[in-house]
Amino acid sequence: MKFSRKALGIPYYIFLLVFVAAPLAVIIVYAFTNGQGHFTAVNFIGFFTDPNTLGTLCYSLAIAIVTTVVCLLIAYPTAYILANSNIKAKAVILMIIIMPMWINFSLRVTALKEVLSVLEGNLAFYPFFNTVLGMTYDFLPFMILPIYNTLSKLDGSLLEAAADLGAGKASSFIKITLPLSLPGIVSGVTMVFLPSMTNYVILDMLYNSTYIMGSLIGSYFSANNWHAGSMIALILLLIIGLFSLFTGSLTDDAAESKGGALL
Amino acid sequence: MMKRNVLNFRNTVLFRCLALVLTVMTCMACIPSQVFAAGEQTVTIRVCSWEEYIDLGDWDEEELIELESDEIIGIRPMVDEFEEWYYETYGIRVKVDYSTFGTNEDLYNMLKIGDVYDLVCPSEYMVMKLMAEEKLVPLSDAFFDEEDENNYYSRMVSPFIKEIFDEQKINGESWSRYMAGYMWGITGILYNPEEVTREEASSWKILTDPKFRRRITLKDNVRDSYFAALGALKADLLTSEEFRNDPEYPRRLEEEMNDISPETIAEVEEFLKEAKDNAYSFETESGKADMITGKAVANLQWSGDGVYTIDQAEEEDFELEFTVPEEATNIYFDGWVMLKSGVEGHSDRQHACEAFINYISRPDNVIRNMYYVGYTSVIAGNEEDTRIFEYADWSFGAEEDEEDTIDYNVGYFFSGDEEDEDYVITASSEQLYKQLFSQYPDAGALARSSIMVCFDDAANERINQMWINIRCMSIEDVPPGIWAVILIAAAACILLLIRRRIRS
Repeated sequence: MKFSRKALGIPYYIFLLVFVAAPLAVIIVYAFTNGQGHFTAVNFIGFFTDPNTLGTLCYSLAIAIVTTVVCLLIAYPTAYILANSNIKAKAVILMIIIMPMWINFSLRVTALKEVLSVLEGNLAFYPFFNTVLGMTYDFLPFMILPIYNTLSKLDGSLLEAAADLGAGKASSFIKITLPLSLPGIVSGVTMVFLPSMTNYVILDMLYNSTYIMGSLIGSYFSANNWHAGSMIALILLLIIGLFSLFTGSLTDDAAESKGGALL
Repeated sequence: MMKRNVLNFRNTVLFRCLALVLTVMTCMACIPSQVFAAGEQTVTIRVCSWEEYIDLGDWDEEELIELESDEIIGIRPMVDEFEEWYYETYGIRVKVDYSTFGTNEDLYNMLKIGDVYDLVCPSEYMVMKLMAEEKLVPLSDAFFDEEDENNYYSRMVSPFIKEIFDEQKINGESWSRYMAGYMWGITGILYNPEEVTREEASSWKILTDPKFRRRITLKDNVRDSYFAALGALKADLLTSEEFRNDPEYPRRLEEEMNDISPETIAEVEEFLKEAKDNAYSFETESGKADMITGKAVANLQWSGDGVYTIDQAEEEDFELEFTVPEEATNIYFDGWVMLKSGVEGHSDRQHACEAFINYISRPDNVIRNMYYVGYTSVIAGNEEDTRIFEYADWSFGAEEDEEDTIDYNVGYFFSGDEEDEDYVITASSEQLYKQLFSQYPDAGALARSSIMVCFDDAANERINQMWINIRCMSIEDVPPGIWAVILIAAAACILLLIRRRIRS
């Protein structure tokens, strides 16, 4: 038998089958059945008619959007400075960014809770702010690193060419640096946006007692209603899929504009 | 042509690997664990209980508990000691597979998806549910034989607990036939006496008191919160003389505290929404630390955790008290039950399970578990073996030179007689609001205690829905700020898409 390079992928296919395809199939089956095992669309309709689910969706989206924007606003300048600093400083700054990731996140959030308690007096008065802060704190490295990666690979000759042709710093940033770093931004946004819609542990730890999508799924499961819980999970998956398509199309855009920006 | 070959090859290898994995897994599942210990005749029992709910040993030497009739210390994990004791007593090797669960609902879900256990320790309402679903094996007649020296449970269970377990019935059968109690407790308010007066803490209405805005914690579970809300809503009725003096009081109290009519659920929802806005947090564990650090000034608490928190606070020279609201308190039990799916048809396993219950009901082991866990055991001992009472006296009794003392009678628990002079603890008077009261609430508090039954599926669904209504933001209540964020983000996405279209 001839050995094919594709055979190397077999462990991955098995992994895919057992840990991705099979659970997904189970979720789909549960989402479209009721307690007696019959097909039903009740859960599906329920998602779009239940004021709680919709309200929670809005709340989760708002948390995720604000977290992502805040992360981006902090991460981009950081990554930019990092990419343009000299080797020595680079190592130090990178270390500072990466070091918190060595500590378990629940410890970090607990520490944050104590700091916030001191600063705010009583952190229960600012649940939304605290949640966004907690998530930003937790997910920031996931935004910085991909942007830093693309920025550090940026071809410096393009900037020189722009300078030669009379472009100022601002316009060469907008016309060259920003478009070329778009793939980094896209993967950073994806890595921050998606978990911040569902990571309810941070909310629990910071005493935000309003549910987000993750906690809602959990509450349906502990109330033994696996069907409604699965439906929410499935629809979230669809939303995430759409979001990935959208961000994916932006990356194509960036690839095209790579040529376009120079012309 | 080439490509198809590769595909075929991949498919066959994939299938072979899968088949291999499946075969190995099936084989492993088929081999009973006894085979590995062939000849030795080892019985394996699978026990599942709450986390941190049994003594794991390894105490410091100064933790030695010196009682009049015994000295008690935990050196090795109790489960290991049981395995030895069982072999010495019955000549059969036993192996305990001990695992833990997080909540009653988790346990139920684990059982539902097919996890098999022989002996589990859920709370009473989950026991009621399992009883109603006929998933349990009754305790054997031998277990109730009080002549047998080794039947520590039947010989030493508190008469107070036994009475409740005998009276409460599911499908016409009393709890005691299926469940052997382990720990019990009541719900109350743990409070900081510097900030909260006893009067304020003596009503469930404290949960919505604006005076303690964002400084009071609730339990992150629907049953405890529901009970507290009922207490606050029905306060006038529950504290009225007429209701209290009704000869049918216990039965009527239980009825009121298990009221699940749609109107009541709606009222509870309103109350708890208000309580949520007033609360510092919904918690299960973190409330203890928040009380000690002073972030919260009062919390809805279980008596066992109350003892623990007051202990911890004392170490930091911080004062906390525990009291039971005037309206009513929820009395709850965790108990051992045997599951049909594990035990049925295996008398050797059933015997080992019952022996396990008896072993942990032996007074020295009871004391070790109480010391380790902080909750109150259902075991009281008897006239010959008074070690558990001695332990209570050792823990909470006043020093000889103390002046401000009270005589605290715990006879209701130890002998079934509220006036029994043999079971009086002379304690410092502040113990009325401290560990002694939390560990063994006085007869007055227990008079207004009610169990909370297991509701049927339809009612559970309504109550769970109520809980979701409380915890979720309804679409109607979404504040304009959140709408603005979403709309701006959506507009930005659309703009980007349009821009891309124009470019291409």
